[in-house]
Amino acid sequence: MSRFLRTAGSDDSSLESESADDDESDSDGDAAQPQKKVSRSRRDQEDESEDEDDVKRIAIDNALKINHWVAISNEFDKLVRLAQRQTNVAERIPDSISDSLNNAMAKEKEAKKKMNLSNSRAFNGTKQKMKKINKEYEADIKHFQEDPEGFEHEYAAAVAEPAVDVEEEGDEGGDFTSVGKGGKALGFTPDSVFKNLQTVQESCGKKNTDRVVQNNILERLLEVANTSYQRIRVLLALISSRFNYNSSVSTHMPISLWLASQREVDQLVAIVMGDPSYSGQEITEDYDEFVECSLADEKDGVVRIRGSIISFVDRLDDEFTKSLQNIDPHGTEYVDRLKDDKGLYESICQAQAFYEKTNQLDPLARVIMRHLEHIYSKPDAVIQALEQTATQSKLVPSTTPATQGSSSSLIHSLSVSLYKSDNSFLCTRAMLCHIYHHALANEFYVARDMLLMSHLQESVHAADVATQILYNRTVVQLGICAFRKGLIREAQSTLQDIFTAQQVKELLAQGVHQQRYQTLTPEQEKADRQRQLPFHMHINTELLEAAFLVSGMLVEIPLLASIDNKELKRKAISKPFRRLLDFADRQVFTGPPETTRDHIMQASKALQDGEWEKCRDLIQSIKIWSLMPGGAQSVKDMLARRIQEEGLRTYLFTYALYYSTLSLSLLSRTFSLSAGTVTSTVSKMIWNEELAASLDQSSGVVVFHRVEVMHVQQLAQSLADKLGTMMEQNEKGLDLKLGGGSAWADRTDGTKQEKRTSDQAGERRRTGEQWGGTASRGGTRGGRGARFAQGLGNQMGQAKRHKGQERE
Amino acid sequence: MAEHDLTQTIIPYLDRHLAFPLLTHLAETTLFPVEQIIKAQYELTNGTNMVDYSVNLFEQLNPDAEVPAEFAKKRDKVVSTNDRLEQEAQTVLEIIENPEVAQALRQDKRQNLQYLKDHFGLTLEQITVLYNFGQFQYTCGNYSGAADYLYHFRVLSTDADLNLSAHWGKLASDILIGKWEMALEELNSLREAIDSRTISLASTLSGPGGEVASALTQLQSRTWLLHWSLFVYFNHPEGRTLLLETFLSPTYLNTIQTSCPWILRYLTVAAIVSRKASATLSGRLRHAIREVVKVIQMEEYQYMDPVTSFLKELYVEFDFEGAQRELTKAEQIVGDDFFLGNFSEEFLDNARYLISEAYCRIHQRIDIADLSERLNLSREDGEKWIVNLIRDTRMGADARIDLEKNVIEINRPALPVYQTVIENTRGLAFRTQAIGAAMGKAGQTEVVENGNGEAH
Repeated sequence: MSRFLRTAGSDDSSLESESADDDESDSDGDAAQPQKKVSRSRRDQEDESEDEDDVKRIAIDNALKINHWVAISNEFDKLVRLAQRQTNVAERIPDSISDSLNNAMAKEKEAKKKMNLSNSRAFNGTKQKMKKINKEYEADIKHFQEDPEGFEHEYAAAVAEPAVDVEEEGDEGGDFTSVGKGGKALGFTPDSVFKNLQTVQESCGKKNTDRVVQNNILERLLEVANTSYQRIRVLLALISSRFNYNSSVSTHMPISLWLASQREVDQLVAIVMGDPSYSGQEITEDYDEFVECSLADEKDGVVRIRGSIISFVDRLDDEFTKSLQNIDPHGTEYVDRLKDDKGLYESICQAQAFYEKTNQLDPLARVIMRHLEHIYSKPDAVIQALEQTATQSKLVPSTTPATQGSSSSLIHSLSVSLYKSDNSFLCTRAMLCHIYHHALANEFYVARDMLLMSHLQESVHAADVATQILYNRTVVQLGICAFRKGLIREAQSTLQDIFTAQQVKELLAQGVHQQRYQTLTPEQEKADRQRQLPFHMHINTELLEAAFLVSGMLVEIPLLASIDNKELKRKAISKPFRRLLDFADRQVFTGPPETTRDHIMQASKALQDGEWEKCRDLIQSIKIWSLMPGGAQSVKDMLARRIQEEGLRTYLFTYALYYSTLSLSLLSRTFSLSAGTVTSTVSKMIWNEELAASLDQSSGVVVFHRVEVMHVQQLAQSLADKLGTMMEQNEKGLDLKLGGGSAWADRTDGTKQEKRTSDQAGERRRTGEQWGGTASRGGTRGGRGARFAQGLGNQMGQAKRHKGQERE
Repeated sequence: MAEHDLTQTIIPYLDRHLAFPLLTHLAETTLFPVEQIIKAQYELTNGTNMVDYSVNLFEQLNPDAEVPAEFAKKRDKVVSTNDRLEQEAQTVLEIIENPEVAQALRQDKRQNLQYLKDHFGLTLEQITVLYNFGQFQYTCGNYSGAADYLYHFRVLSTDADLNLSAHWGKLASDILIGKWEMALEELNSLREAIDSRTISLASTLSGPGGEVASALTQLQSRTWLLHWSLFVYFNHPEGRTLLLETFLSPTYLNTIQTSCPWILRYLTVAAIVSRKASATLSGRLRHAIREVVKVIQMEEYQYMDPVTSFLKELYVEFDFEGAQRELTKAEQIVGDDFFLGNFSEEFLDNARYLISEAYCRIHQRIDIADLSERLNLSREDGEKWIVNLIRDTRMGADARIDLEKNVIEINRPALPVYQTVIENTRGLAFRTQAIGAAMGKAGQTEVVENGNGEAH
């Protein structure tokens, strides 16, 4: 059917169901008649009416052929009604009808007898109407019958003329007559812009309001509006109406609408930027909605309009994220959508430039945060590309790499400007983004120092969930960074906390975890899903796990070996790793490794047996390394080196029992390490009293001293150890209670020096406590290394617990 | 070796006047061209009132040029200001130095002020003159006079800011006249003032901004204190031990890590040098060095020089050759350093000792020639050194020299189990007591706070 009917149909679907029902009952048979519901501007109608009367005529002809007079009658009625409405083209219609009716008349005689009751009634009715109409348009019909071609010609001219008129009128923004709901006519003129705006705004949110129509009206208004003030007002209304288009939260905004609103936000920013005498503000004094504001009326030459650009930018960004969340990340659609990021980034930059210019601090901070969040997790190349497109546009915020150099300095300047704002929430997030970026750029120490100095781990459990997620992401990124740099211990302890809970995906908001023991209410599930990060921001969990388990292996295996040595059960450093290892041990048959875990478990076993080469090959054959940012080869090389060293240590721990001497050169050959490295490793073990041995320089061997320990002695030792740990636990507990970190380190310090005078000790303790009481920046950084391992852990645990509680 | 010179790094943290000795020392070491140094000195004097010295330097810089007239003008101005201030200060001094007044003065400053006002009509403004004059004297280079005036000012004044400033001035003056005992006293009281000051500041300036700002000022003043104290600690006879104590206390260690990692060099040297001196402090030695090594390792990415990497090579990498290499370099640096210059012998001695100690602990049989080489000594010297070592230290019983094979044999029987148990449990009781005390204190303060809360 015609375009008209199609649009009408789609309108129906978006209307309230009630009216849709009405509609359906109205339109029985093949003739749908929704036109009374639809308001159209005249120009549209004109185009459509031509289609329409063609359609009607075809319908009549068709009906004639099958002698279906009921349909003919209906169509004719409609045709007539149409003709009455449009006086311009009216001439054409009756003649075409009479044309077809003349044909019909001829057939009619013969067909008459076969007609059933209703048909014949319709036929008679039509004949009556025909006569009436013919009388009305008599002159025209005569004219037509005499000279059909001439009439056609005239008609064409007649039609063309008003069409041109309409065109002109359109340009002037003049004489639009539109049938609004209930047949009210809407005129779009610059003068009536505010009235129309008002009407639209009043109907907004009511039942039965058609949002598409609203948008269209507003779009038209925008075309008509001819002053900046009007345009701003209309744009503000239009953008919010677009955002309102979607009522349900779960699905995202249609992409075409999103693009349109993005364009309009740009437009809005450009207008406001170009004309400093207007400004959009969230809170303004009341003003008259209908009156055109002029500069003269305002006190300081600035017209304030209620509306906030920042909230549009926020919303735009949120909708973008939402759409990414809902699009299948493995399809091309996702990639296409991702391309819009560029435009969005530009919009954000422009908004930032605008706020920088107008010096509105609060929205500026918010828009900078958006800016930062767009780039913090991206590699350099992507940021550069984004920045290039942004600098091409006219409006450039003051912080761009063109003036700043590299992407990390861009992030730095963005973060610093946020640190200066007094919004602590944004400050925290900016800090995390900054740290994340440092970690991504392989600057482990910088990132670690920033994280520790920010003291976020102490307060993050009180933050909102999104910030907690960002925190988790940052910590994980830091762990991977440490791993890349070969700082295995740091990597292990950093990643530990995320992995012990076994909810990695959930903690990073990269997937909803299946809860086994508790069921989530739909709202929680929805909230959970809303929090998910779009796919392109994910941190690869498999890579994460590989890094974690490998560092676990490098830390744990030598430790395990030394435990057997001393026949003491020691606390496992990495419980998840130990659990997996035990599980792998229990298996009777082991096939060739398939998953990353298999690889690592078999590698661990090889390492335990002293086969470091096998271990290395297994670890290096893990495919996921290729996803490591910054190149897989360097990581593999680093791992190979580590495996050699840890292999040596494991070997020494395991087999020291069975040798009284071991040649250093043999060790260096076996583990392909230089003699110097072997000596240094062994020395380190001796010095740290891990290995009861000493070196014999002249013959180049390690001499082992075996000490037999009696059972009672062993027990006494472990008891003493336990006492020590208990003591430490107590101190830590008190630490937590008193709040200061290193007041205790200081105190234990004092105790180790028994010979000091009590006076001194007292003084020291006093300063210690004073210090513990104040949270000074230089101060609370105490015992960094230890804090990093423990403090982080505790706090992360708390953060997670907190999350858990929230869930309950 | 110029790249390891710290003078340029340190000077920004020093007072103008304190930088002079450093520059003079630099001129002696020939690390930098003399003209540059004189120029630097000249520029330094421009900010002070030491006009004569400035003119002198100017003449050295430009032997041919005429001395500009502005010097003379400045000189006149300085002299006139001096006279004016001196007169004003004189009246105050006369009153204060009156024995009757000196007796009447008590602890309470406010009361003193009241007393002076009632009896002699001495106002606060007049007392501030003391401060101004002291400061002026200081800028003129008359440090002992400055120290005197500032001392008197501090006794009387109640203005916290000026008092602190006077503190710094007095410390600088004491350092510059070389009265180390007094300087040390001053240093300690200043340290206390800085530490306690933040608390009052933090409590008055509530709100996040104030807290951050006060923390920053505290960090800054601690950094300054660290640098200034180097003068005292490396000149006072007990200085090195005291330095260890101060610098290793968590607050100052954190300050070093945060804002001035180069101080680690001095900490390292102090730890090494005071090895023997701290023998009286029993386990303290190992403790200090171990602490220092930990910090060095942590800050490796920020600061590194041969002195710190010597310890790192020795105790982290156990690379004795590396340690020896670094030691040679470190020796030179220590010799050239303004603060450490006097200790280069001691440093070398103790560093050697540390190497040999570590070496002996790890090895069972050591070639004497090899060890001598490790210590940068000739064979004969090496043997003598080792004999001394064996005689001096606790390991005497376990080590023997076998001249026939030219080796030292070390027998180190494993530590008996009971001893390790004792070692482990030592101090537990003390620590428990400390916890108890702390808890009691915490409880008390809580009670007090609660009480306050109710009172409000």
